[in-house]
Amino acid sequence: MISSGRWAGGLAIAAALVWSLWSTDVSLRRLVEGIPFMLEFVRRMLPPDPSVLGQALRGAVQTLQIALLGTAVAAVLAVPLALAAARNTAPRWIFYATRTWLNVFRAIDTLVYALFFVAAVGLGPFPGVLAVIVYTTTVLAKLFSEAIEAMDPGPVEAVQAVGATRIQVLRWGVLPQLGPEFVSFTLYRFETNIRAAAVLGFVGGGGIGFYIQTYLRLLNYPAASTVLLVLIVMVMLVDFTSSRLRARLI
Amino acid sequence: MIRARGLSKRYPGGPVALDHVDLDVRAGEFVTLIGPSGAGKSTLLRCLNGLVAPTAGEVTVDGEPVVSASEETLRRVRARIGFVFQHFNLVKRLSVLDNVRVGSLSRVKTWPSLAARFPESETERARRALRRVGLAGLEDRRADTLSGGQQQRVGIARALVQEPRVLLADEPMSSLDPALSRSLMELLRHINAEDGLTVIASLHVLDLAVSYGERVVGLRAGRIVHDGAPATLSASVAEMIFGSASL
Repeated sequence: MISSGRWAGGLAIAAALVWSLWSTDVSLRRLVEGIPFMLEFVRRMLPPDPSVLGQALRGAVQTLQIALLGTAVAAVLAVPLALAAARNTAPRWIFYATRTWLNVFRAIDTLVYALFFVAAVGLGPFPGVLAVIVYTTTVLAKLFSEAIEAMDPGPVEAVQAVGATRIQVLRWGVLPQLGPEFVSFTLYRFETNIRAAAVLGFVGGGGIGFYIQTYLRLLNYPAASTVLLVLIVMVMLVDFTSSRLRARLI
Repeated sequence: MIRARGLSKRYPGGPVALDHVDLDVRAGEFVTLIGPSGAGKSTLLRCLNGLVAPTAGEVTVDGEPVVSASEETLRRVRARIGFVFQHFNLVKRLSVLDNVRVGSLSRVKTWPSLAARFPESETERARRALRRVGLAGLEDRRADTLSGGQQQRVGIARALVQEPRVLLADEPMSSLDPALSRSLMELLRHINAEDGLTVIASLHVLDLAVSYGERVVGLRAGRIVHDGAPATLSASVAEMIFGSASL
């Protein structure tokens, strides 16, 4: 038997879908009419213009640097925040306060932070780094705190029971459990941050995104496609290396 | 050696785990603690090394008070008490050797130990302990790749490396099959006889206590209801400890 609650839920979802379909001007006719334009767009991107390859590579390296620096700093900042946001390591009021603030700041995406920091410190990769740091810190703090809560208390108790000092308990009971998980989460965020950092240039935050946007605006599609290809290769390389590393850790 | 007076423990929102327990254990004794699950065996053992703070009562080990002791005193007392856990409590990702060397942490200098640098003498001690529990050659294996019986032997080796005066074992066999239980019980018996170590082992089954204990303490609902040699464990006494349903 399907309960009335499920009926109501299903109806609500259906209504929301119809409403969204209505308000977003979804039109199959316009999509079909757009197909020739898409083909034309792709045709104009080919062949890629190799003369901008050096520029594209420099942009890619800067994007990599933004993601690397931002993720590393965020990982360090996330550790104390995670301790304050885990039920088993923080007093109740600190736990609730930290969780709440993390949720508030995590509601805003990296790109929006970039807009804010570009306005604050000017154009370039620096506001990009700051944007990556702020958003990634909130995400990693959440992931770390969940790992802390899921930690097995048994080994910690065992290290306490041999008469170890607090710092020894952290080193031999806590770190072997959490260390590999923290590094794994950080690598995963680094992969994601490469993608996030690639579009930071759209809002003046530096990196490869600046060239994508510039060449598209100048209607220089062959140059834009070179930059896009470099981006694709870079993302794939980072994903591959990072996931291999993660598989080894756990 | 061990002296508990008026030991009571009530967990917040829970039932009474210990109810005015008095217990004296002489040096070198081998005591088995029996009782149904929930009788307070784990809580009693954990009060003896300060892993659990009792609601009321006193504990002294070797004349040193445990309850409300300073952190420093508590560490010194714990260093002299080996603890073997029901679920082994090994650090899964560490090697067997590292797990055993954890037992020497109270003795070594703090900073080198944080960098995993142990004196050669401690590493040798750890290898000896592993040989003694029959695990020579497995030093470099990751702890979680071992079988349950092997993991519990690592737990015992970790306790031996402490060179303790007392060994507390909290249902060390309950995660293992009966044949393994017997061989581990014999190992504990050997350690007791050879090193003169005081051993208190809690067990959830009667037969091991009868065949290996020299003194059997029966716990029920947080109270000691029996204390005597295995021979004094008549059917009626067992029934009083475990309740008729479990026999």
